Amino acid sequence: MIAKIVCYALQGLEGVPVEVETDVSKGIPAYEMVGLPDAAVKESKERVRSAIKNSALLFPMGKITVNFAPADIRKEGAAFDLAVAVSLLKASEQLVGADTHGIVFLGELALDGAVRPIAGLLPILISAKAQGYTRFVVPAANAKEAAYLGGAQIYPVSTLAETVRFLLGAEAIMPLAPEQFVPRLHAGQGADLRYVKGQPVARRALEIAVAGGHNLLLVGPPGTGKTMLARCLPTVMPDLTFEEALEITKIHSVAGTLGEDGIVSERPFRTPHHTATTVAMCGGGNRAVHPGEISLAHGGVLFLDELPEYKRSPLEALRQPLEDGKITVSRSAGSVTFPARFMLCASMNPCPCGNYGSADKVCTCSPAEIRRYRKKISGPLLDRIDLQVEVDNVSYDALTSDREQESSERVRECVNVARSIQSVRFEESGIRTNSEMGERELAAFCRLSEEGERILREAFERMKLSARARARILKVSRTIADLAACEEILPAHVCEAVSYRLGDSLD
Amino acid sequence: MSAYTEEERLFIWLAACAGLDDRARSSLSRTCGRGIPPEALEKICAAVVQTGEGGVYKSDRASRLREADAAIAHMDKLRCFAVTLASADYPAALRAIPDPPVALFCAGRRKLLAARKFCIVGSRKLPPWARETGKTIAAELSARFALVTGIAEGGDRAAIDGALPSGNLISVLPGGLDVDYPAAHAALKREIAKKGLIVSEYPLRTRVQKYSFHARNRILAGLSEGVLVLAAGERSGTLITANRALSYGRDVFALPHNAGAAQGAGCNELIKQGAYLCTDAGDILAMYGMERRRAEDVSLTPAEQTMLACLRDAGEGHAAALAAAAGVPVWEAQATLASLEIKGLAARAGGNQYTALKH
Repeated sequence: MIAKIVCYALQGLEGVPVEVETDVSKGIPAYEMVGLPDAAVKESKERVRSAIKNSALLFPMGKITVNFAPADIRKEGAAFDLAVAVSLLKASEQLVGADTHGIVFLGELALDGAVRPIAGLLPILISAKAQGYTRFVVPAANAKEAAYLGGAQIYPVSTLAETVRFLLGAEAIMPLAPEQFVPRLHAGQGADLRYVKGQPVARRALEIAVAGGHNLLLVGPPGTGKTMLARCLPTVMPDLTFEEALEITKIHSVAGTLGEDGIVSERPFRTPHHTATTVAMCGGGNRAVHPGEISLAHGGVLFLDELPEYKRSPLEALRQPLEDGKITVSRSAGSVTFPARFMLCASMNPCPCGNYGSADKVCTCSPAEIRRYRKKISGPLLDRIDLQVEVDNVSYDALTSDREQESSERVRECVNVARSIQSVRFEESGIRTNSEMGERELAAFCRLSEEGERILREAFERMKLSARARARILKVSRTIADLAACEEILPAHVCEAVSYRLGDSLD
Repeated sequence: MSAYTEEERLFIWLAACAGLDDRARSSLSRTCGRGIPPEALEKICAAVVQTGEGGVYKSDRASRLREADAAIAHMDKLRCFAVTLASADYPAALRAIPDPPVALFCAGRRKLLAARKFCIVGSRKLPPWARETGKTIAAELSARFALVTGIAEGGDRAAIDGALPSGNLISVLPGGLDVDYPAAHAALKREIAKKGLIVSEYPLRTRVQKYSFHARNRILAGLSEGVLVLAAGERSGTLITANRALSYGRDVFALPHNAGAAQGAGCNELIKQGAYLCTDAGDILAMYGMERRRAEDVSLTPAEQTMLACLRDAGEGHAAALAAAAGVPVWEAQATLASLEIKGLAARAGGNQYTALKH
């Protein structure tokens, strides 16, 4: 008898339906799997055999053929185990009368018949639902993640035996109740702007950066709090919306980094080490294409500490995603596109010894050394960082002062106001923040007064700015005007934006 | 027919073909500095041959001239020329020092050699305000003088940036004209050769040595009527130029720095010893009896005026401190300061510090 069970494979963030067909016929006992399974899928043979045996069910004798259709896409991972087991049982007539039609089975099996969680469940469920499937059997350990998919019947199971009893109607399983999404404030390991002493300029830059979705570079001597400032970034970012959360969760689900909550309810803050390779940064891998750090930072912050220490190629690879907000990774098996709309925050010392430009310490680097150090960051990358600010050496008095600083919550309120102005403005443009403005929006929303235009021209000539830098200054001015709830960009806004382009005055 | 006289060609031979080491070169300079009649030149050439490497190198007057012509042909190809002690336009001020170079290899505008010359130098690392001030002074002086400087970063660069637009700029190199040092300034060197003049005591292809800076600095001082030191540490090489200038009887000017600032200790020391304190080009022009042209007034908004007053009051200050003094939020102060920076009235001094600049 032939049995057909539906399962799903992942391609990037999209689920692709895979039919597991099993035929058990008389003959010399054999057990074959066809249809482009990879090693982990082939190993499911043994897991399924043991799981069936140890669930007090019968492993059929005879010639067994399992086929994965369509045969032309590569199947990877262990998510097919449950579907293979169910189809085997059905083909060997142990599920007579059970209705398996239209149910998608997902899960990995343990040898004792327990159902283990799988990576990438939520993106599969979302794709499957879009393709018309409404009934799912999923691992109980994935239940929290699955519960965020509304409008479907999702049955969590913890063993194969339980699955069989459910299918035969011997046991009822309550479908998961849809979970309500509650955005969570970023715990950020206790980071809060309230605890950042001094640094008025950097704080302001942080606020502008978040309000307009701009990238940020913090330059300063060692030990002045660059990392601490960066850690505060997620705490002032606006709350996640459900759509954003789902998008982020999909990525983290595929990467297998989803926490116990089952959904990413706070903005990611990724800090890849400077030894990270291009593949680690952008995604890839020799078999399954995995999302890289920039995709894991989607919707949140990618923090690159000690920017010049990074290898050149991963940094240069950031250039295109910084513009497009997505990355397409191509491998021989095909290409996959991951979203990668993140906010880049980087930090660096002003020179190798860290004291260049310091008022009270002497820099021991030669001009050539400083140039070499700065040259590690290419002009095109620097151009894409709208805000470049110096972080001050904080005096001891400021460090020990009790004066309450503005908290992250207060700053977030201002940011939210600026963001709402932007969302009204860009209602028809299909973008969310000022930093995403294209030429058309720049022309429409960033008109300067005559005076503002003159200032920008002088700065342009004096600082030898590129055309892109000019656009970036305009975008930052727009954000500064938004923070001031000002319809028009005033000359002062342009000036302030110019003051955050430190990199152009470094030479 | 060569554009050089026979005497000039012999000097070129001495400077470019005789294979002199640095010691022989400076002793030759001292000998020739006293002024020598043409027949003595012949003897000097012969003496050089005898002390030449291994003492085996022999040559007569005709072959010397042939060798000089070959060197001249090579220079022509690179559009370089030589000005020797025998040339009419050898700078008189330089001829007056005890050890003038026997030949100067040059590329660019020859007539700058005849102009009045003033030198601006400074250490390679100098505070941003000193760089801006130096640039402004250089720009203003270059209308009256040919500005003499080196080609390194820092002080040299400030002078170059100020004077290059007018083209009244002489850059004295520490190595052969075709040697790119510092490598990062190769393009800059070509631009100076196009708009101004580059000069070196050393023949083409001479690599830069540590001691060649020392020798080069005497040319900087020797060419100029006066020297302005933008910044110098306590033991900066820039002080060599200043000391040379003093010993040649030239005027020395120095920018005053904060007491205790390491980068300016040398300048302050110079002032203590009697150098002229200089805060703008007017101080220098007045010394040479020149009128200063009135700078056009920049129009300032009320906020800028307030901020400028606070900045000048403090001399130097953190954006936050200046904001407090002016009674505005930090970001507003930041904007005003940026606009003052664009107008050339303030400079960023690192770590969000700003300094006032004299206009």
